[in-house]
Amino acid sequence: MNSMIIGKYVPGTSIVHRMDPRSKLIMVFFYVFIVFLANNVETYAVLMIFTFSLILLSRIPLSFIIRGLKPIFLVILFTFLLHLFMTKEGELLYRLGWFEIYEQGVKQGVFISLRFLSLIIVTTLLTLTTTPIEVTDGVESLLSPLKKFNMPIHELALMMSISLRFIPTLMEETDKIMKAQTARGVDFSGGSFQERIKAIVSLLVPLFINSFKRAEELATAMEARGYRGGEGRTKFRLLTWKTADTALIVSLILLAIILFILRS
Amino acid sequence: MREIAVSVENVSFKYPNEANYAVKNVSFYVQEGEWLAIVGHNGSGKSTIAKLLNGLLRPESGVIKIFSTELNETTIWEIRKRVGMVFQNPDNQFVGTTVQDDVAFGLENNGVPRDEMVERVDEAIRLVKMEEFLEQEPHHLSGGQKQRVAIAGIIALQPDIIILDEATSMLDPKGRNEVLETVRDLKKKQKITVISITHDLEEVVKADRVIVMNKGEVLTQGTPEEIFLLGEQLEKIGLDLPFTVKLSNELKGAGFPLTTDHLTAEGLVEELWTLYSKM
Repeated sequence: MNSMIIGKYVPGTSIVHRMDPRSKLIMVFFYVFIVFLANNVETYAVLMIFTFSLILLSRIPLSFIIRGLKPIFLVILFTFLLHLFMTKEGELLYRLGWFEIYEQGVKQGVFISLRFLSLIIVTTLLTLTTTPIEVTDGVESLLSPLKKFNMPIHELALMMSISLRFIPTLMEETDKIMKAQTARGVDFSGGSFQERIKAIVSLLVPLFINSFKRAEELATAMEARGYRGGEGRTKFRLLTWKTADTALIVSLILLAIILFILRS
Repeated sequence: MREIAVSVENVSFKYPNEANYAVKNVSFYVQEGEWLAIVGHNGSGKSTIAKLLNGLLRPESGVIKIFSTELNETTIWEIRKRVGMVFQNPDNQFVGTTVQDDVAFGLENNGVPRDEMVERVDEAIRLVKMEEFLEQEPHHLSGGQKQRVAIAGIIALQPDIIILDEATSMLDPKGRNEVLETVRDLKKKQKITVISITHDLEEVVKADRVIVMNKGEVLTQGTPEEIFLLGEQLEKIGLDLPFTVKLSNELKGAGFPLTTDHLTAEGLVEELWTLYSKM
Protein backbone atom coordinates (compact mmCIF):
# COMPACT_ATOMS: atom_id res chain seq x y z
CA MET A 1 0.00 0.00 0.00
CA ASN A 2 2.95 2.27 0.73
CA SER A 3 4.16 2.21 -2.83
CA MET A 4 0.84 3.71 -3.97
CA ILE A 5 1.59 7.18 -5.31
CA ILE A 6 -1.84 8.56 -6.10
CA GLY A 7 -2.27 11.70 -4.01
CA LYS A 8 1.33 11.81 -2.84
CA TYR A 9 3.67 14.75 -3.30
CA VAL A 10 7.29 14.37 -4.38
CA PRO A 11 9.35 17.49 -3.62
CA GLY A 12 11.32 18.83 -6.53
CA THR A 13 12.34 21.92 -8.44
CA SER A 14 11.44 20.93 -11.99
CA ILE A 15 9.56 23.28 -14.27
CA VAL A 16 6.35 21.32 -13.61
CA HIS A 17 6.85 21.67 -9.85
CA ARG A 18 7.26 25.42 -10.17
CA MET A 19 4.19 25.93 -12.32
CA ASP A 20 1.17 27.72 -10.97
CA PRO A 21 -1.27 25.19 -9.46
CA ARG A 22 -4.04 26.94 -11.39
CA SER A 23 -2.54 26.13 -14.77
CA LYS A 24 -2.01 22.53 -13.71
CA LEU A 25 -5.58 22.22 -12.48
CA ILE A 26 -7.01 23.75 -15.65
CA MET A 27 -4.86 21.48 -17.75
CA VAL A 28 -5.93 18.31 -15.92
CA PHE A 29 -9.56 19.34 -16.10
CA PHE A 30 -9.54 19.83 -19.85
CA TYR A 31 -7.20 16.94 -20.50
CA VAL A 32 -9.85 14.57 -19.20
CA PHE A 33 -12.06 15.67 -22.10
CA ILE A 34 -9.37 16.01 -24.74
CA VAL A 35 -8.30 12.42 -24.21
CA PHE A 36 -11.59 11.30 -25.72
CA LEU A 37 -10.72 12.93 -29.03
CA ALA A 38 -8.20 10.20 -29.73
CA ASN A 39 -9.63 7.30 -31.74
CA ASN A 40 -6.91 5.92 -33.99
CA VAL A 41 -3.27 4.88 -33.94
CA GLU A 42 -1.92 8.34 -34.81
CA THR A 43 -3.95 10.20 -32.21
CA TYR A 44 -3.07 7.73 -29.48
CA ALA A 45 0.58 8.06 -30.43
CA VAL A 46 0.33 11.84 -30.06
CA LEU A 47 -1.39 11.40 -26.71
CA MET A 48 1.32 9.12 -25.41
CA ILE A 49 4.06 11.45 -26.61
CA PHE A 50 2.36 14.30 -24.77
CA THR A 51 2.01 12.25 -21.60
CA PHE A 52 5.61 11.11 -21.59
CA SER A 53 6.94 14.60 -22.32
CA LEU A 54 5.12 15.75 -19.21
CA ILE A 55 6.76 12.99 -17.16
CA LEU A 56 10.16 13.99 -18.58
CA LEU A 57 9.56 17.64 -17.73
CA SER A 58 8.54 16.80 -14.17
CA ARG A 59 11.88 14.98 -13.65
CA ILE A 60 10.08 12.26 -11.74
CA PRO A 61 11.70 8.90 -12.61
CA LEU A 62 9.49 6.78 -14.85
CA SER A 63 10.31 3.71 -12.78
CA PHE A 64 8.93 5.45 -9.70
CA ILE A 65 5.64 6.16 -11.44
CA ILE A 66 5.39 2.63 -12.81
CA ARG A 67 6.06 1.12 -9.40
CA GLY A 68 3.52 3.42 -7.81
CA LEU A 69 0.83 2.61 -10.33
CA LYS A 70 1.15 -1.16 -10.03
CA PRO A 71 -2.28 -1.61 -8.45
CA ILE A 72 -3.75 0.40 -11.31
CA PHE A 73 -2.18 -1.88 -13.89
CA LEU A 74 -4.42 -4.68 -12.67
CA VAL A 75 -7.46 -2.58 -13.41
CA ILE A 76 -6.04 -1.65 -16.80
CA LEU A 77 -5.30 -5.29 -17.58
CA PHE A 78 -8.84 -6.20 -16.65
CA THR A 79 -10.29 -3.53 -18.95
CA PHE A 80 -7.97 -4.69 -21.71
CA LEU A 81 -9.06 -8.32 -21.42
CA LEU A 82 -12.70 -7.34 -21.21
CA HIS A 83 -12.46 -5.41 -24.46
CA LEU A 84 -10.36 -8.12 -26.05
CA PHE A 85 -12.95 -10.81 -25.49
CA MET A 86 -16.14 -8.85 -25.75
CA THR A 87 -15.61 -6.92 -28.95
CA LYS A 88 -16.74 -9.03 -31.88
CA GLU A 89 -15.94 -6.82 -34.84
CA GLY A 90 -13.47 -6.87 -37.66
CA GLU A 91 -11.38 -9.80 -38.78
CA LEU A 92 -11.24 -12.96 -36.74
CA LEU A 93 -7.68 -13.37 -35.56
CA TYR A 94 -7.74 -16.40 -33.35
CA ARG A 95 -10.14 -19.10 -32.32
CA LEU A 96 -10.00 -21.83 -29.72
CA GLY A 97 -13.35 -23.53 -29.24
CA TRP A 98 -15.86 -20.85 -28.29
CA PHE A 99 -12.94 -18.53 -27.57
CA GLU A 100 -12.57 -15.88 -30.28
CA ILE A 101 -10.39 -12.79 -30.64
CA TYR A 102 -11.18 -10.19 -33.25
CA GLU A 103 -9.01 -7.43 -34.70
CA GLN A 104 -11.23 -4.68 -33.32
CA GLY A 105 -11.03 -6.28 -29.90
CA VAL A 106 -7.26 -5.97 -29.80
CA LYS A 107 -7.45 -2.39 -31.05
CA GLN A 108 -10.16 -1.37 -28.60
CA GLY A 109 -8.38 -3.05 -25.72
CA VAL A 110 -5.11 -1.30 -26.44
CA PHE A 111 -6.76 2.08 -27.01
CA ILE A 112 -8.88 2.04 -23.89
CA SER A 113 -5.93 0.90 -21.80
CA LEU A 114 -3.75 3.67 -23.19
CA ARG A 115 -6.45 6.25 -22.59
CA PHE A 116 -6.83 5.07 -19.04
CA LEU A 117 -3.09 5.01 -18.47
CA SER A 118 -2.62 8.49 -19.87
CA LEU A 119 -5.42 9.90 -17.71
CA ILE A 120 -4.04 8.31 -14.56
CA ILE A 121 -0.49 9.46 -15.26
CA VAL A 122 -1.45 13.05 -15.97
CA THR A 123 -3.68 13.41 -12.90
CA THR A 124 -1.06 11.68 -10.74
CA LEU A 125 1.55 14.08 -12.06
CA LEU A 126 -0.57 16.96 -10.74
CA THR A 127 -0.49 15.67 -7.19
CA LEU A 128 3.09 14.44 -7.48
CA THR A 129 4.33 17.91 -8.36
CA THR A 130 1.94 20.11 -6.37
CA THR A 131 1.64 20.29 -2.58
CA PRO A 132 -1.90 19.76 -1.26
CA ILE A 133 -1.96 23.32 0.03
CA GLU A 134 -1.04 24.64 -3.43
CA VAL A 135 -3.87 22.61 -4.90
CA THR A 136 -6.18 24.18 -2.32
CA ASP A 137 -4.96 27.68 -3.18
CA GLY A 138 -5.39 26.94 -6.85
CA VAL A 139 -8.93 25.66 -6.39
CA GLU A 140 -9.84 28.67 -4.25
CA SER A 141 -8.45 31.07 -6.81
CA LEU A 142 -10.11 29.33 -9.76
CA LEU A 143 -13.47 29.13 -8.03
CA SER A 144 -13.35 32.66 -6.61
CA PRO A 145 -15.69 34.06 -9.30
CA LEU A 146 -18.38 31.89 -7.71
CA LYS A 147 -18.16 34.06 -4.58
CA LYS A 148 -20.39 36.51 -6.41
CA PHE A 149 -23.13 33.91 -6.24
CA ASN A 150 -22.68 33.59 -2.48
CA MET A 151 -20.80 30.34 -2.71
CA PRO A 152 -18.61 29.91 0.41
CA ILE A 153 -15.39 29.39 -1.56
CA HIS A 154 -13.07 30.89 1.04
CA GLU A 155 -14.62 28.78 3.76
CA LEU A 156 -14.31 25.62 1.68
CA ALA A 157 -10.66 26.34 0.99
CA LEU A 158 -10.01 27.02 4.67
CA MET A 159 -11.75 23.77 5.55
CA MET A 160 -9.54 21.94 3.11
CA SER A 161 -6.35 23.50 4.39
CA ILE A 162 -7.22 22.89 8.04
CA SER A 163 -8.07 19.27 7.27
CA LEU A 164 -4.73 18.87 5.54
CA ARG A 165 -2.97 20.47 8.49
CA PHE A 166 -4.66 18.14 10.99
CA ILE A 167 -4.21 14.83 9.18
CA PRO A 168 -0.80 14.07 10.77
CA THR A 169 -2.00 15.33 14.16
CA LEU A 170 -5.01 13.01 14.12
CA MET A 171 -2.90 10.10 12.88
CA GLU A 172 -0.59 10.58 15.83
CA GLU A 173 -3.56 10.74 18.13
CA THR A 174 -5.10 7.59 16.65
CA ASP A 175 -1.83 5.80 17.26
CA LYS A 176 -1.73 7.02 20.85
CA ILE A 177 -5.32 5.98 21.58
CA MET A 178 -4.74 2.57 20.01
CA LYS A 179 -1.75 2.03 22.25
CA ALA A 180 -3.67 3.22 25.31
CA GLN A 181 -6.59 0.91 24.51
CA THR A 182 -4.28 -2.02 23.75
CA ALA A 183 -2.72 -1.48 27.15
CA ARG A 184 -6.22 -1.81 28.58
CA GLY A 185 -6.75 -5.12 26.83
CA VAL A 186 -8.45 -4.15 23.57
CA ASP A 187 -7.40 -6.37 20.69
CA PHE A 188 -7.37 -4.49 17.37
CA SER A 189 -5.85 -7.20 15.24
CA GLY A 190 -7.99 -10.24 15.78
CA GLY A 191 -11.31 -11.59 16.93
CA SER A 192 -14.71 -12.02 15.34
CA PHE A 193 -16.38 -9.32 13.29
CA GLN A 194 -18.39 -8.21 16.31
CA GLU A 195 -15.33 -7.99 18.53
CA ARG A 196 -13.53 -5.99 15.91
CA ILE A 197 -16.37 -3.50 15.68
CA LYS A 198 -16.27 -3.13 19.43
CA ALA A 199 -12.53 -2.49 19.31
CA ILE A 200 -12.97 0.15 16.63
CA VAL A 201 -15.65 1.88 18.69
CA SER A 202 -13.23 2.12 21.60
CA LEU A 203 -10.89 3.92 19.23
CA LEU A 204 -13.39 6.15 17.48
CA VAL A 205 -15.23 7.51 20.50
CA PRO A 206 -12.20 9.13 22.17
CA LEU A 207 -10.92 10.24 18.78
CA PHE A 208 -14.16 12.03 18.00
CA ILE A 209 -14.48 13.60 21.42
CA ASN A 210 -10.94 14.91 21.19
CA SER A 211 -11.54 16.22 17.69
CA PHE A 212 -14.53 18.21 18.85
CA LYS A 213 -12.43 19.62 21.67
CA ARG A 214 -9.69 20.51 19.24
CA ALA A 215 -12.19 22.15 16.93
CA GLU A 216 -13.49 24.33 19.73
CA GLU A 217 -10.04 25.35 20.87
CA LEU A 218 -8.92 26.03 17.33
CA ALA A 219 -11.98 28.18 16.73
CA THR A 220 -11.22 30.17 19.89
CA ALA A 221 -7.59 30.62 18.85
CA MET A 222 -8.61 31.73 15.38
CA GLU A 223 -11.06 34.25 16.74
CA ALA A 224 -8.47 35.56 19.18
CA ARG A 225 -6.23 36.20 16.21
CA GLY A 226 -8.88 38.26 14.51
CA TYR A 227 -10.48 35.74 12.16
CA ARG A 228 -13.90 36.89 10.99
CA GLY A 229 -14.50 35.15 7.69
CA GLY A 230 -13.17 35.83 4.24
CA GLU A 231 -14.28 39.47 4.11
CA GLY A 232 -11.37 41.93 3.88
CA ARG A 233 -8.77 39.23 4.20
CA THR A 234 -5.45 39.40 2.41
CA LYS A 235 -3.45 36.36 1.36
CA PHE A 236 0.08 35.43 2.31
CA ARG A 237 0.46 32.72 -0.31
CA LEU A 238 0.89 34.24 -3.70
CA LEU A 239 0.09 32.48 -6.95
CA THR A 240 2.09 33.77 -9.88
CA TRP A 241 1.22 32.96 -13.44
CA LYS A 242 4.48 32.48 -15.33
CA THR A 243 5.40 31.95 -18.97
CA ALA A 244 5.60 28.21 -18.36
CA ASP A 245 1.96 28.25 -17.29
CA THR A 246 0.84 30.01 -20.45
CA ALA A 247 2.99 27.55 -22.40
CA LEU A 248 1.26 24.62 -20.72
CA ILE A 249 -2.19 25.90 -21.63
CA VAL A 250 -1.10 26.70 -25.20
CA SER A 251 0.36 23.22 -25.61
CA LEU A 252 -2.90 21.78 -24.38
CA ILE A 253 -4.80 23.74 -27.03
CA LEU A 254 -2.33 22.60 -29.68
CA LEU A 255 -2.79 19.02 -28.52
CA ALA A 256 -6.53 19.36 -28.88
CA ILE A 257 -6.15 20.79 -32.41
CA ILE A 258 -3.71 18.07 -33.49
CA LEU A 259 -5.96 15.34 -32.16
CA PHE A 260 -8.93 16.90 -33.90
CA ILE A 261 -7.13 16.97 -37.25
CA LEU A 262 -5.71 13.45 -36.96
CA ARG A 263 -8.75 11.68 -35.61
CA SER A 264 -10.74 9.55 -37.98
CA MET B 1 4.37 57.59 35.37
CA ARG B 2 3.59 54.44 33.43
CA GLU B 3 0.31 54.09 31.62
CA ILE B 4 -2.32 51.61 32.71
CA ALA B 5 -2.37 48.89 30.05
CA VAL B 6 -5.35 46.94 31.31
CA SER B 7 -7.97 47.97 33.78
CA VAL B 8 -10.70 45.66 34.94
CA GLU B 9 -13.46 47.21 37.03
CA ASN B 10 -16.06 45.19 38.91
CA VAL B 11 -16.27 42.54 36.22
CA SER B 12 -18.59 39.58 36.70
CA PHE B 13 -19.17 36.69 34.35
CA LYS B 14 -21.27 33.55 34.44
CA TYR B 15 -21.21 30.72 31.90
CA PRO B 16 -24.64 29.91 30.53
CA ASN B 17 -26.43 27.11 32.38
CA GLU B 18 -24.22 27.40 35.41
CA ALA B 19 -25.32 28.48 38.83
CA ASN B 20 -22.12 30.06 40.12
CA TYR B 21 -20.28 33.03 38.76
CA ALA B 22 -16.98 32.07 37.13
CA VAL B 23 -15.72 35.58 37.82
CA LYS B 24 -17.28 37.63 40.59
CA ASN B 25 -16.85 41.37 40.86
CA VAL B 26 -13.18 41.33 39.94
CA SER B 27 -11.13 44.52 39.71
CA PHE B 28 -7.44 44.89 38.97
CA TYR B 29 -5.10 46.79 36.71
CA VAL B 30 -1.91 46.06 34.83
CA GLN B 31 0.71 48.70 34.13
CA GLU B 32 2.40 49.11 30.80
CA GLY B 33 5.49 46.91 30.54
CA GLU B 34 4.59 44.92 33.62
CA TRP B 35 4.65 41.11 33.94
CA LEU B 36 1.59 40.07 35.87
CA ALA B 37 0.96 36.50 36.92
CA ILE B 38 -2.55 35.31 37.71
CA VAL B 39 -2.59 32.12 39.76
CA GLY B 40 -5.31 29.96 41.22
CA HIS B 41 -6.32 26.34 41.13
CA ASN B 42 -8.65 24.85 38.50
CA GLY B 43 -11.98 26.62 38.32
CA SER B 44 -10.75 29.73 40.09
CA GLY B 45 -11.75 31.81 37.07
CA LYS B 46 -8.27 32.70 35.90
CA SER B 47 -8.70 31.42 32.35
CA THR B 48 -12.08 33.09 32.13
CA ILE B 49 -10.38 36.39 32.89
CA ALA B 50 -7.98 35.83 30.01
CA LYS B 51 -10.86 35.25 27.63
CA LEU B 52 -12.67 38.32 28.93
CA LEU B 53 -9.65 40.51 28.26
CA ASN B 54 -9.77 40.18 24.49
CA GLY B 55 -13.48 39.82 24.08
CA LEU B 56 -13.73 36.07 23.54
CA LEU B 57 -16.24 36.23 26.37
CA ARG B 58 -18.37 39.25 27.21
CA PRO B 59 -18.70 40.27 30.86
CA GLU B 60 -22.14 40.29 32.38
CA SER B 61 -21.33 43.51 34.19
CA GLY B 62 -18.32 45.73 34.70
CA VAL B 63 -15.89 47.52 32.43
CA ILE B 64 -12.68 46.33 30.80
CA LYS B 65 -10.36 48.93 29.34
CA ILE B 66 -7.27 48.31 27.24
CA PHE B 67 -5.12 51.45 27.21
CA SER B 68 -8.22 53.47 28.13
CA THR B 69 -10.23 52.06 25.19
CA GLU B 70 -13.31 50.39 26.48
CA LEU B 71 -13.86 46.84 25.22
CA ASN B 72 -17.20 46.60 23.39
CA GLU B 73 -18.77 45.46 20.11
CA THR B 74 -17.18 48.22 18.06
CA THR B 75 -13.67 48.14 19.50
CA ILE B 76 -13.35 44.39 19.77
CA TRP B 77 -11.38 43.80 16.56
CA GLU B 78 -9.06 46.69 17.29
CA ILE B 79 -8.47 45.30 20.76
CA ARG B 80 -7.83 41.77 19.53
CA LYS B 81 -5.00 43.22 17.46
CA ARG B 82 -3.50 44.80 20.58
CA VAL B 83 -4.05 41.87 22.93
CA GLY B 84 -2.45 38.65 21.72
CA MET B 85 -3.21 35.33 23.33
CA VAL B 86 -1.20 32.14 23.52
CA PHE B 87 -3.28 29.14 24.55
CA GLN B 88 -2.50 25.92 26.32
CA ASN B 89 -2.50 23.28 23.61
CA PRO B 90 0.29 23.87 21.06
CA ASP B 91 -1.49 21.83 18.40
CA ASN B 92 -4.90 23.37 18.67
CA GLN B 93 -3.80 26.90 17.88
CA PHE B 94 -1.66 26.12 14.87
CA VAL B 95 -3.87 27.12 11.94
CA GLY B 96 -1.45 27.29 9.01
CA THR B 97 0.03 24.33 7.18
CA THR B 98 3.59 25.63 7.67
CA VAL B 99 5.34 27.88 10.19
CA GLN B 100 5.22 30.95 7.98
CA ASP B 101 1.59 30.40 7.01
CA ASP B 102 0.64 30.21 10.65
CA VAL B 103 2.49 33.39 11.55
CA ALA B 104 0.78 35.11 8.61
CA PHE B 105 -2.70 34.01 9.68
CA GLY B 106 -3.39 36.92 12.01
CA LEU B 107 -2.06 39.40 9.46
CA GLU B 108 -4.26 37.91 6.74
CA ASN B 109 -7.25 38.28 9.01
CA ASN B 110 -6.51 41.94 9.49
CA GLY B 111 -6.09 42.61 5.79
CA VAL B 112 -2.43 43.61 5.95
CA PRO B 113 -1.07 44.15 2.40
CA ARG B 114 1.11 41.26 1.22
CA ASP B 115 4.44 43.10 0.94
CA GLU B 116 4.18 44.34 4.49
CA MET B 117 2.95 40.93 5.60
CA VAL B 118 6.06 39.17 4.26
CA GLU B 119 8.32 41.59 6.13
CA ARG B 120 6.43 41.30 9.39
CA VAL B 121 6.27 37.51 9.19
CA ASP B 122 10.03 37.31 8.65
CA GLU B 123 10.74 39.68 11.48
CA ALA B 124 8.41 37.91 13.91
CA ILE B 125 9.91 34.52 13.09
CA ARG B 126 13.39 35.94 13.62
CA LEU B 127 12.39 37.34 17.00
CA VAL B 128 11.34 33.92 18.27
CA LYS B 129 14.39 32.32 16.63
CA MET B 130 12.47 29.96 14.37
CA GLU B 131 13.97 31.10 11.06
CA GLU B 132 15.35 27.65 10.24
CA PHE B 133 11.84 26.23 10.30
CA LEU B 134 10.07 28.62 7.90
CA GLU B 135 8.65 25.90 5.66
CA GLN B 136 8.25 23.24 8.34
CA GLU B 137 4.95 21.57 8.98
CA PRO B 138 3.63 21.57 12.55
CA HIS B 139 3.95 17.83 13.15
CA HIS B 140 7.71 18.13 12.73
CA LEU B 141 7.98 20.69 15.54
CA SER B 142 8.24 20.18 19.28
CA GLY B 143 5.64 21.63 21.64
CA GLY B 144 7.96 24.44 22.64
CA GLN B 145 8.65 25.29 19.03
CA LYS B 146 4.94 25.36 18.22
CA GLN B 147 4.33 27.72 21.11
CA ARG B 148 7.13 29.96 19.86
CA VAL B 149 5.44 30.01 16.46
CA ALA B 150 2.18 30.95 18.20
CA ILE B 151 4.03 33.81 19.90
CA ALA B 152 5.48 34.88 16.54
CA GLY B 153 1.96 34.93 15.11
CA ILE B 154 1.00 37.34 17.83
CA ILE B 155 4.16 39.47 17.65
CA ALA B 156 3.56 39.92 13.91
CA LEU B 157 0.39 41.82 14.82
CA GLN B 158 2.51 44.19 16.94
CA PRO B 159 0.42 43.91 20.08
CA ASP B 160 0.86 45.84 23.32
CA ILE B 161 -0.18 42.99 25.56
CA ILE B 162 0.47 39.26 25.44
CA ILE B 163 -1.66 36.92 27.50
CA LEU B 164 -0.17 33.48 28.18
CA ASP B 165 -3.14 31.30 29.06
CA GLU B 166 -1.30 28.36 30.65
CA ALA B 167 0.86 28.43 27.55
CA THR B 168 3.60 26.33 29.11
CA SER B 169 1.53 23.79 31.00
CA MET B 170 1.67 21.13 28.27
CA LEU B 171 5.39 21.50 27.63
CA ASP B 172 8.40 19.66 28.96
CA PRO B 173 10.87 21.69 31.07
CA LYS B 174 13.02 22.45 28.04
CA GLY B 175 10.07 23.69 26.01
CA ARG B 176 8.85 25.72 28.97
CA ASN B 177 12.19 27.47 29.30
CA GLU B 178 12.31 28.12 25.57
CA VAL B 179 8.93 29.80 25.64
CA LEU B 180 9.49 31.84 28.78
CA GLU B 181 12.94 32.90 27.55
CA THR B 182 11.34 34.05 24.29
CA VAL B 183 8.68 36.08 26.06
CA ARG B 184 11.20 37.61 28.45
CA ASP B 185 13.40 38.54 25.53
CA LEU B 186 10.51 40.16 23.69
CA LYS B 187 9.43 42.06 26.74
CA LYS B 188 12.89 43.57 27.00
CA LYS B 189 13.06 44.50 23.32
CA GLN B 190 9.52 45.70 22.69
CA LYS B 191 8.11 46.95 25.96
CA ILE B 192 5.31 44.43 25.86
CA THR B 193 2.99 43.94 28.80
CA VAL B 194 2.68 40.29 29.78
CA ILE B 195 -0.18 38.66 31.65
CA SER B 196 0.56 35.06 32.39
CA ILE B 197 -2.10 32.75 33.69
CA THR B 198 -0.32 29.82 35.19
CA HIS B 199 0.15 26.93 37.56
CA ASP B 200 3.88 27.04 37.13
CA LEU B 201 5.55 28.53 40.17
CA GLU B 202 8.77 29.30 38.32
CA GLU B 203 6.72 31.52 36.08
CA VAL B 204 5.19 33.22 39.12
CA VAL B 205 8.56 33.83 40.73
CA LYS B 206 9.73 35.80 37.72
CA ALA B 207 6.64 38.01 37.51
CA ASP B 208 6.58 41.60 38.73
CA ARG B 209 3.29 41.16 40.46
CA VAL B 210 0.94 38.30 41.28
CA ILE B 211 -2.83 38.10 41.60
CA VAL B 212 -4.20 35.09 43.46
CA MET B 213 -7.68 34.01 42.40
CA ASN B 214 -10.01 31.78 44.34
CA LYS B 215 -13.60 30.85 43.45
CA GLY B 216 -13.89 33.65 40.93
CA GLU B 217 -12.63 36.36 43.23
CA VAL B 218 -9.31 38.09 43.75
CA LEU B 219 -7.99 36.66 46.99
CA THR B 220 -4.92 38.79 47.23
CA GLN B 221 -2.28 40.51 45.15
CA GLY B 222 1.32 41.58 45.59
CA THR B 223 4.91 40.89 44.61
CA PRO B 224 5.92 37.21 44.42
CA GLU B 225 7.81 37.59 47.72
CA GLU B 226 4.73 38.95 49.46
CA ILE B 227 2.53 36.24 48.00
CA PHE B 228 4.73 33.35 49.03
CA LEU B 229 4.90 34.70 52.57
CA LEU B 230 1.25 33.67 52.81
CA GLY B 231 2.41 30.06 52.81
CA GLU B 232 -0.36 28.09 54.44
CA GLN B 233 -3.10 30.29 53.09
CA LEU B 234 -2.02 29.43 49.55
CA GLU B 235 -1.86 25.74 50.30
CA LYS B 236 -5.36 25.91 51.71
CA ILE B 237 -6.78 27.03 48.35
CA GLY B 238 -4.91 24.30 46.53
CA LEU B 239 -1.78 26.09 45.40
CA ASP B 240 1.69 24.77 45.80
CA LEU B 241 4.73 26.66 47.07
CA PRO B 242 8.08 26.66 45.27
CA PHE B 243 10.53 24.12 46.61
CA THR B 244 12.93 26.77 47.91
CA VAL B 245 10.16 28.51 49.85
CA LYS B 246 9.13 25.21 51.41
CA LEU B 247 12.69 24.32 52.27
CA SER B 248 13.43 27.67 53.82
CA ASN B 249 10.23 27.46 55.90
CA GLU B 250 11.17 23.99 57.11
CA LEU B 251 14.67 25.13 57.99
CA LYS B 252 13.27 28.06 59.93
CA GLY B 253 10.93 25.67 61.68
CA ALA B 254 13.89 23.50 62.62
CA GLY B 255 15.54 26.48 64.28
CA PHE B 256 17.92 27.79 61.66
CA PRO B 257 18.07 31.58 61.86
CA LEU B 258 17.26 32.32 58.20
CA THR B 259 16.34 35.95 57.66
CA THR B 260 13.95 36.03 54.70
CA ASP B 261 11.98 33.84 52.37
CA HIS B 262 13.73 32.58 49.30
CA LEU B 263 12.19 32.45 45.89
CA THR B 264 15.26 31.31 44.02
CA ALA B 265 17.68 28.49 44.65
CA GLU B 266 20.58 30.94 44.31
CA GLY B 267 19.25 33.14 47.09
CA LEU B 268 18.77 30.23 49.44
CA VAL B 269 22.18 28.73 48.72
CA GLU B 270 23.76 32.13 49.23
CA GLU B 271 22.20 32.55 52.64
CA LEU B 272 22.90 28.98 53.67
CA TRP B 273 26.61 29.11 53.02
CA THR B 274 27.07 32.55 54.52
CA LEU B 275 25.09 31.33 57.50
CA TYR B 276 27.51 28.49 57.99
CA SER B 277 30.47 30.86 58.05
CA LYS B 278 28.67 33.02 60.61
CA MET B 279 27.98 30.15 62.96
